[in-house]
Amino acid sequence: MSKLFPIQEIGSLAKPKWRTKGLRQPLSAQDLSEAEEWAQKLGINDFHDRAKGILKTSDDKTRTREILELSTLYGLRLFETAGVDNDGVGGEQQRVEMYEHVIKAVEGMNLLGHVHSFDYKYFNKGVAESKVSRKRPIYTPEFSDVTRYAHRAVKVPITGPYTLVDWSFSGYYIQKQRASSPKSRKIEAKREFLLDIVEQVIRPEIRDLVDAGASWIQIDEPAVTTHPEPQEMELFVEAWNETVKGFSCKFSDHTCYPSEIGYKVLAEYAPKLDKCDQLALEFANRDTSRLGVDESSREGYSDLKHFVNAGFSGEFGLGVAHVHDFTGNVSSGAGQAIGRDLIESPELVRDRLLFATKIVGDPVKIWANPDCGLRTRTWDVSFAKLANITKGAELARETFE
Amino acid sequence: MTPELSNAALIPIGIHQTLFLTEYEYNRTYIIRITGNDNENMSPEIQLAGIHPRSEKLIELTRSYERAGTSWSQVEVQFEQETRELIKLQKSLGFDHISDGALGWQDQLRTVARSLRGVESGTRYSRWFDTNTFYQKPIVAGKISAGEIDPKNFLQTRLLAGEKNRKIILPGPYTFSQLSENKYYEKYPDLLFDVAVAEREIIRRLRNEGVSLFQLSEPCLVYQPYRETFRGESEVELALRAIRSVVENNPGEFVIQTYFGDAAPIFSKLVDLPVHGIGIDLFETDVSSLSRQTSKTLVLGVVDSRESYVEDPHWIADTARKFRKQVDVQDLVFASNSDLKFVPQGIANQKLEALSKASELFEGSR
Repeated sequence: MSKLFPIQEIGSLAKPKWRTKGLRQPLSAQDLSEAEEWAQKLGINDFHDRAKGILKTSDDKTRTREILELSTLYGLRLFETAGVDNDGVGGEQQRVEMYEHVIKAVEGMNLLGHVHSFDYKYFNKGVAESKVSRKRPIYTPEFSDVTRYAHRAVKVPITGPYTLVDWSFSGYYIQKQRASSPKSRKIEAKREFLLDIVEQVIRPEIRDLVDAGASWIQIDEPAVTTHPEPQEMELFVEAWNETVKGFSCKFSDHTCYPSEIGYKVLAEYAPKLDKCDQLALEFANRDTSRLGVDESSREGYSDLKHFVNAGFSGEFGLGVAHVHDFTGNVSSGAGQAIGRDLIESPELVRDRLLFATKIVGDPVKIWANPDCGLRTRTWDVSFAKLANITKGAELARETFE
Repeated sequence: MTPELSNAALIPIGIHQTLFLTEYEYNRTYIIRITGNDNENMSPEIQLAGIHPRSEKLIELTRSYERAGTSWSQVEVQFEQETRELIKLQKSLGFDHISDGALGWQDQLRTVARSLRGVESGTRYSRWFDTNTFYQKPIVAGKISAGEIDPKNFLQTRLLAGEKNRKIILPGPYTFSQLSENKYYEKYPDLLFDVAVAEREIIRRLRNEGVSLFQLSEPCLVYQPYRETFRGESEVELALRAIRSVVENNPGEFVIQTYFGDAAPIFSKLVDLPVHGIGIDLFETDVSSLSRQTSKTLVLGVVDSRESYVEDPHWIADTARKFRKQVDVQDLVFASNSDLKFVPQGIANQKLEALSKASELFEGSR
């Protein structure tokens, strides 16, 4: 792509009520009224025909399939209409969430129940009860719909092996370890579990995606920055390099919300990641909400220098919009706080991109994106944020013309 | 398979090679030494050491509330019911100090942060150590002091009405200040001690509500990876001074709980604190390097809140026995190594039951 500051989504979008309800039970015409409104906004001209099909069918499986396909189409069109250049898989509408979606397709894993993540957000945590292997394709059915409907470039975000293992109970793998110290047992169990996930689950999936035409895989590894110890980071690098070995598509890493040490340790290891063409990282969450391209206004982006200093030469996916609740103050011109949402102004997005360019040194290497998936925001808010990212990127682009 | 215990002492093969056996080794070799030495005269108390998990029903209600599908009053009813059930469970398992489980707490810092003047929260989420949970980062924007303190935000006073010994878990001043973003103080010690003074006021209010045991959680004292350099002795001393300033005048009411890291390097300093008890994470601490006599109560984090398997009570009791041979302590308390909210509620409750059973086994083997 030749234009500067292209826009990408990072992963999830909120699931509309009709999508969630429709997977559990038949829908009424009333249930689809929200979908009808958005069909007009997004230019989905065959909505009425599709709605008739969904309302008419008495077969749960058919209804589910049609709803998943339709919600993927909506996600793609929402991104496209907001001006996003790479539309991912349309907001991961076909996944429960990033962890559970994979674990359900893994032989040897059992979901034990929900644990707290933050506020009223939870995730269903799994345990390895035996050696793991892939039960069925995980992302390829969704990718098939995406390729049918996408008008723009796409990439496939997948949950990385390190994160899958880190967020699971190691059960079978820890029980079989013999080391005397609990810490040694944990790390040995993790390594064995991780390499099994890579070989038995993730690589077969990537093979299928590449065979189906995927040219860009985004590996989501939010867990990696939570364990900055050298032993853990080396394990992450080993797993990454095993994962991508032999594939010729583009790979990128998405990591967010690191522990207190920030991205410094990831920066140190990033140059060791084979075929890692891009790092898409959360920054807006830690930044001020005032305009400016000085270091103080843009303190949230200071970690970028660690990657440059460490010699990472790939692209950066720059988190320029916050994706969680916001209750702080917004300076004049930097955006609007509406309820629990912050809508960043195009000018704030522009300043973030320009400041990052100063550090990275080459605007060609910078993409603009939200910090993370937008699943916690409504579609209205997500659309407004993405539209302002698009406008902000245009403003930044103008300064180079 | 759980080994059968008898009252006889079974002499282990190779037991001296390691202080702590894995449960696997323990069960395979049937090496169980269940007779204690003559000095053992304790019946370990069991305590909650952190936030307890919500049930699937409550989780679903809170999710539905967020989607505007359930009213807050419905959620509140379920919170109350679960708190009652947890109190009942603790009593049935023989807990002396009862906690409400802090089921409504969204993270370990927020309740305190919102009771302080000079602290803002709400703009930034940070990861809670190396877990997949997050906390709202307190932003220190002005001089810290105790603000409006409503005890109901801290504990379910009404539901604990019948309980004489009430326990509450709060972040210690060092951990709170370390995990905050300082935008006001020029010198870190000023921030730390203002947090300590403000916490003292919070504690005074909670004491008036009948809380008799305060756990100050200080994982930052032992957790290392987020630091680029190991905290020096002077910083540890500073942290301990801040803790002393919180507990002064009422040392018997406090437990200082460490977790997620090895307490061994600072153990001798911890046991010198003027507090009732010190808590350590047995899954992180190098116990072999602990050797000390202390009149303190030791809270043993002996079930792992970050693994789903439920520890065998025999293994817990035996592990505690070996610990006591290594460290000569006044009393032991059995607990999880940190908040049980990292496992689903059913597993958390089974872990509490295992602790209770282990306490009986420990006592029965005297």
